[in-house]
Amino acid sequence: MLEIRNLHVSYGAISAVRGVDLDIAVGEIVALVGANGAGKTTVARAIAGLLPYQGEIRYAGRLLKPNSAERNLRLGVALVPEGRGILSSMTVGENLLMGLYTRIDRDQAAADLADVQSRFPILAERRDTMASLLSGGEQQMLAIARALLSKPKLLLLDEPSLGLAPKMTDFVFEMVLRLRDEGLTVLLVEQKARQALKIAGRAYLMETGRVLTSGPARELLEDHVLANAFLGAGASKA
Amino acid sequence: MLLQQLVNGLTLGAVYTLIALSFSLVMGILGVLNLAIAELFMLGGYFGFAAILAKLPLPVALLAGMAGAALVAAVIERVGYQPFRDAPVVTPMLSTLGFSIILQNVATNIWGSDPLQLPDEVFGARFTLGPVSASAMQLTIVGATVVLVALLAFVVQRTALGRALRAVAENRDVARLLGVSAGPLTLLAFMLSGALAGAAGVLIGLHYAAITPYIGVEIGLKAIAVMVVGGTGRIWGALIAGPLIGVAEVMTTAYGGSQIRDFVVYGLMIVILLLRPQGLLGGARTEQGPRV
Ligand SMILES: Nc1ncnc2c1ncn2[C@@H]1O[C@H](COP(=O)(O)OP(=O)(O)OP(=O)(O)O)[C@@H](O)[C@H]1O
Ligand SMILES: [Mg+2]
Repeated sequence: MLEIRNLHVSYGAISAVRGVDLDIAVGEIVALVGANGAGKTTVARAIAGLLPYQGEIRYAGRLLKPNSAERNLRLGVALVPEGRGILSSMTVGENLLMGLYTRIDRDQAAADLADVQSRFPILAERRDTMASLLSGGEQQMLAIARALLSKPKLLLLDEPSLGLAPKMTDFVFEMVLRLRDEGLTVLLVEQKARQALKIAGRAYLMETGRVLTSGPARELLEDHVLANAFLGAGASKA
Repeated sequence: MLLQQLVNGLTLGAVYTLIALSFSLVMGILGVLNLAIAELFMLGGYFGFAAILAKLPLPVALLAGMAGAALVAAVIERVGYQPFRDAPVVTPMLSTLGFSIILQNVATNIWGSDPLQLPDEVFGARFTLGPVSASAMQLTIVGATVVLVALLAFVVQRTALGRALRAVAENRDVARLLGVSAGPLTLLAFMLSGALAGAAGVLIGLHYAAITPYIGVEIGLKAIAVMVVGGTGRIWGALIAGPLIGVAEVMTTAYGGSQIRDFVVYGLMIVILLLRPQGLLGGARTEQGPRV
């Protein structure tokens, strides 16, 4: 579904991603893990089309253009950005309506909105609340729900567990599994690497702009040298 | 006397509100001060006057002023803003300043530097209620402003287009991730803003029954003061600040003499900048959320 070849991204003089190759097959959950500043967010933003880059990103067989987020969304690639990207000057309901911005099938869109609201009852309940007043977990749900409303085929999640309580993190990860079962393909960028690897099929470990290693998530988890060095030995509580 | 001044101040304030909204639409969405708005206002006045002198009805004149100014605003966006989109913010500001000087020049060449006057018989009627009297003109100005602001509020607050505009204003990257193309919306914001300025130009022209190519500078600066007092880039701040400054101006002229009028208006702006840079309606001063 997604093929990245020799991706290079730089911010001015800083080169943040240097020659990344990455593949995602239809229906997979792929985890992208690595330390702070490794370049995970940059990869996700490049796929979403928020950045200029060098290299090739193919999605569903077609070459994506750098810096063309609006178009990529219409093709079926949605990013829930790091920090959630809630529009805080709008209500919860308005944020959800923004998720429908590209939809032209009005009746189906209305049905999907109803569906999302029954999936996340708290969002329906708090529809008229300013989005900034939601808790972190609720905001993450709102961000994911909003992204789902565009009917993506590939969902990119950048640190969905950031700042969430363990219970909430579990909830989000279970939801990712459920979405996968419903046919969605997911790239999961995570700091909580162990937990992410548990739900992912395959994983990529990045360090300083490069992919250090990749493979089935289970193998990465079981490689003790690797796990202790890069996944944080103490983080295995989940 | 006091009530009468209040009515006069509110009329003037209505026009300030419209131009301030025009500034803050572009400012709020793009973070750019479109200095040519002052001259769009002046041009709107001339377009409207041309329609009135051609004996067209007032609503048509208002629409002519709005449409003409919106078209010029579209040209400014394409030539004076779009190419400098990624440049530091002073670059598009300087280019709109250039446009504003050119537009003033063009107007002087077409219509001359003497005031263009309306014949007296246009809207001479007055209505009196107790001690207060308002001209048909004043009522028209306030009425048209209320209608335009209500329309703008509807578009911005209640339509998909308005939501998209607000999304771009708050966070361009997030808006793009939701499928909003900033380019066409930017053009639209400029045109909406131009239409508001054009309407204000027609209305102030009617207020003074005269218009000159230099009217934009004075009133445009005052509208910037209104925008600052209301809160830069906070679209609705102008709704409070416009009438406030209009009334303050009329009251100081009436009770303190016209020589201290600008002192009060711009003094207020500086006080707000010093004490409450987020503007009257700015709410608590919060840091901007992290951009994606
Ligand atoms: N807007 C930017 N301007 C300049 N440098 C940036 C920018 N964004 C990221 N970088 C740099 O690029 C590198 C990769 O950053 P990136 O955000 O992709 O890492 P990350 O793996 O997502 O980190 P984290 O786990 O902290 O989110 C870092 O060195 C970072 O400092
Ligand atoms: Mg990151």
